[in-house]
Amino acid sequence: MLDYTFQYGQIWPYLPRLIDGAYLALEIAFLSFCGGLLIGTANASLLSFGPKWVAKPIQAFVVFFTNTPQLVQIYFLYFALPDAGVLLSSYAAVLIGMTLNAGAYLTEIQRAGFSTRRQSEMEAAIVLGFSRWQQIRYVILPHIARVLFPPLSNHYIIMTLGTSMAAIFGVEELTGQALNINSITFRSLEIFSVVAGLYIAITLLASLALGLLGSVLFRTKLRVI
Amino acid sequence: MLRKISKGLVTLALMAVSWGYSDATARPLDEIIKSGEIRVGVNPTLPPLGKFNEKNEIIGFDVDVATELAKMLGVKLQVVQVGSPDRIPFVTSGKIDFVMGAMTRNPERAKVIDFTVPVHTEVFGVLTTEGKPFEKVQDLNRPDVTLVQVRGSTPVKYIEDNLKNAKVVLLDNYPDAIRAIAQGRGDAIIDVIDFVGEHMNKHNVKWRVVPTPVDVYYCGLGVAKNSTGLKDWLNVAVFELQRRGKIDELWEKAFGIKMLFPTGMTPYF
Repeated sequence: MLDYTFQYGQIWPYLPRLIDGAYLALEIAFLSFCGGLLIGTANASLLSFGPKWVAKPIQAFVVFFTNTPQLVQIYFLYFALPDAGVLLSSYAAVLIGMTLNAGAYLTEIQRAGFSTRRQSEMEAAIVLGFSRWQQIRYVILPHIARVLFPPLSNHYIIMTLGTSMAAIFGVEELTGQALNINSITFRSLEIFSVVAGLYIAITLLASLALGLLGSVLFRTKLRVI
Repeated sequence: MLRKISKGLVTLALMAVSWGYSDATARPLDEIIKSGEIRVGVNPTLPPLGKFNEKNEIIGFDVDVATELAKMLGVKLQVVQVGSPDRIPFVTSGKIDFVMGAMTRNPERAKVIDFTVPVHTEVFGVLTTEGKPFEKVQDLNRPDVTLVQVRGSTPVKYIEDNLKNAKVVLLDNYPDAIRAIAQGRGDAIIDVIDFVGEHMNKHNVKWRVVPTPVDVYYCGLGVAKNSTGLKDWLNVAVFELQRRGKIDELWEKAFGIKMLFPTGMTPYF
């Protein structure tokens, strides 16, 4: 049926390169998730408590970055900006693109979380004299952290898998290393089955770590898959 | 009820997958003749070997040669677009019957696919921009040099073996690689200069070819390893085209000059 003999022996020597690539993928996802979280929280705070006019630019930002593909966004940063004089390295372009994209999606998630704040507690905080920043930090965030934890973890997993497009711009993360090894040994089926296994391993690790973090910090239930 | 539906869906999925698999092997020569068409993979980002015309069809030297071969076999030609990283998997999986697009013949690739006799040669050179101080290939062997190459192309191995100190950035196709050098992301590219001429013209940058060429390689047609009969037939057909002078004629029509290093012709293979 399938006229192909599997030869995994040819690709085991390249395993260290794949592990390096997996580490880079996790690093890119982590950094851009942190950046996106900052942008998302700032935007959601502004939407809830800021002046009315700031809502329009934030909504424009969200609509643009959630309705265009991440690949197209990074392509623009990497290949189109130099003609305007801004030369970003591959790593910088991927990081900035993924951060902005994550920022837009996380703005929506955070905004939903902010809307679950309890009015009675907010009134109590105002009576006690909390500043806006103290209200957000001590009253809103601890509550919505439990609500937001599952969608945020989900998005982190999606971003980890989304780092695979960095290979197109020369960043040698897991998919990039796989493509390079493929072009040397041509053993596509073996390489990509190993890479799929590695992706499953790192996303399971990431969701396990996030689940542990959540159950320790925010007392959410531990669910891995 | 739900169990029955899910069982049915699983069976359907397995059937669909195994049906798809029956196409996943190379077609022998008899099957190609019987089906009435032959599929060739051509890379349209390598003018004048392959490029798009105004009607978005692929034309060029590769398509001309493939048309002649299809005429000799008495079948229709179907041109499939391929790129450097995916052309070999396309051949081994049977998506295409043979592949062109400057398929350089080397022992690594010969482990996975078979090659016919050479159809043309290619001369590798170093392409860089005005102002860069390189005079010969070994000048690139320094850690502050960044080379931009296309994933899956021949020079990558050459650089790994001979220019160990240089940094390499791998992009997915020729237009992106040339654009990256024009934008200043890399210092040079080692590849066949003739093929990237059209891409170079799109950028407002002064190009410079380093005077000494790197090496000459032979390009043949790539076929799958178990393609019973097709490789032998292609060898005989390509020799016939060379004998009649058709290959040289099509090369001059596409490139404007004669082939720099002729492949030579032997009646034994």
